[in-house]
Amino acid sequence: MQKNPSSFMKRFEIRKSLPFWLILPTIIVILIVQVYPAFYTMWLSLQERKGASWEYVGFENFERLVNAGLFPESIGHTVIFLIGYVVLTLSLGFMIAQLLKRNVPLTGLYVTILFIPWIIADIIAGLVFRLLVTPDYGLFSGILAERGISVLTDTRPTPLFGSFPFPPSPAMIYLILAATWRALPFITLLILASLQTIPHEVIESARIDGANGLQITNHITIPLILPTMVVALFNLILGGMNGVGMVFSLTGGGPGTATYVLSYFLYVLGWGQLRFGRAAALALMIAIVNWILIYLVLRVTRLQERER
Amino acid sequence: MSVPKSYLNRRAWETRLVNFALIVVCLFAVFPIFTTITISFKQQTDITRKPPIFFPCDTPEKSFEWSACRWAVEGYQRVIAPKPDENTLLGFKLTGNLIKTYIPNTIMYAFSSAIGVSLLASLSGFAFSRYRFKGHDALMTGIYAVTGIPLITNMLALYQMGITFRKNLPFYDDRLFLIFVYFGFFLPISVWITKGFFDAIPRELEESALIEGCSPLGAMFRITMPLAAPGLVSIFLMTFVNVWNEFIVAYLLVTKNDYKPAMFGLYDFLSQNIINLQVLAAACLIIAAPIIILFLFTRKTFFRAMVEGAVKG
Repeated sequence: MQKNPSSFMKRFEIRKSLPFWLILPTIIVILIVQVYPAFYTMWLSLQERKGASWEYVGFENFERLVNAGLFPESIGHTVIFLIGYVVLTLSLGFMIAQLLKRNVPLTGLYVTILFIPWIIADIIAGLVFRLLVTPDYGLFSGILAERGISVLTDTRPTPLFGSFPFPPSPAMIYLILAATWRALPFITLLILASLQTIPHEVIESARIDGANGLQITNHITIPLILPTMVVALFNLILGGMNGVGMVFSLTGGGPGTATYVLSYFLYVLGWGQLRFGRAAALALMIAIVNWILIYLVLRVTRLQERER
Repeated sequence: MSVPKSYLNRRAWETRLVNFALIVVCLFAVFPIFTTITISFKQQTDITRKPPIFFPCDTPEKSFEWSACRWAVEGYQRVIAPKPDENTLLGFKLTGNLIKTYIPNTIMYAFSSAIGVSLLASLSGFAFSRYRFKGHDALMTGIYAVTGIPLITNMLALYQMGITFRKNLPFYDDRLFLIFVYFGFFLPISVWITKGFFDAIPRELEESALIEGCSPLGAMFRITMPLAAPGLVSIFLMTFVNVWNEFIVAYLLVTKNDYKPAMFGLYDFLSQNIINLQVLAAACLIIAAPIIILFLFTRKTFFRAMVEGAVKG
């Protein structure tokens, strides 16, 4: 090697630039598919279609969007959807994880069966739930009709608080149930993985000191798995806010506008009404909320790592 | 060695209770799938019955009679549309769009995206795990931040991009663009997960290979990659399933009927068969079955990637 320093230098340089070449393809793809579109959306939110070209309109898109009646309504729907979905999924997930943690015989089989809903596409899950309540012919339509409910056609009851869409329509409640059904396995798995990291001795010694089941749950289990619960919570919020497939196949936003969540409203603004400028304004607002949430997740996971 | 009998009894009862509760939960989990299966095997006349019945097994005298069940495969027939054909092996040809076009398309999209994503993610994950270079942390954080952009936000730009390309590029193909977009959507999180997998592999193995005179690339492909293979397989599977189940991107980017993936085809079915529930149910099952079977055989690998991904992102 000493005889031929230039080849050594060459090899050394290749070695130095190696990480650059390894990363380059990934960075190019992400720049084109993720970063450029994000900037394009920012630009688009200030434009409006005039004939064949775009015209700069400043913040008019935001103004019109906020003043449109559907915008606050969609926010209301999204808030209701998220609250129902998150509360149901987290509490059920926690309970099922507690059961699975007992490790009774056949737990492996139960886990496998429980996880099937999670592997099913959201559009198929929506369709499967739609089959159950299709007007007239769905399996539950008859039973529900006797109580005067038709899930896919009943418009929402008159709101109690101004224009906030509460109480929700049957379609919204059903959408929450369907979304919970699909998200539950994943959240259960997360919580279970975290429950299994709690040392057995901690719970055992608490029991010897005379703590009952509820006290152990409240004072030991929940505080120890809280970081995981927070991660699960943000995962659910992000997934619930951005997922649109189930709304497509289950309700199509209807009846009327009863299940217009923000992501579906964005789709309708853009591809239904071809108001891309306004859709971009909405997309930007959703993205900012997402970033705030992700930043919070990072803070929580960092804290978790520091504690270890 | 004498354990109080009451304690043993209590343990046994607890186990029974937990088992019972878990069985109930499992029933809830599979109930919608089970009903879809029964619907898919009904006749049109049983679908449109009022009030609806769970099993098409009732007779005028009894509400349930095994021998009277009227199971039918009409739904499946209408989805796969078999036509007699002398020249093929089985004596008939499957002419339904779903079987003939949409599912092969989906397999192609899912397979190529999964290959591409696991390849690119393993290269960059390796670099991020093994090398410290200028902008290392900034890039990692940037890739993480990108996952925060909602998919449908990007679709606004990608949709316009597709239109421009279609007009101006002679070699443009919806399918290539779609696969490229899937790369971009599933890469960021995969890079983070693969970096984690590589971090778990000791550096010393590689270093000794380098000292023995192996080139850095050689060490990477001969030593580290084989050790990381199980992790890379889970990235492959995760991407495969995600692309298989993906709807909205393909719905907005694909314009030709011949290029539609299965989920898009299923959505078309929904608008055409609003009353023919057995056809819809059969289509759902045909599309979901391969993924469910894949999952049952590889569930441990799946769990690994998913939990890793959730905790990281």
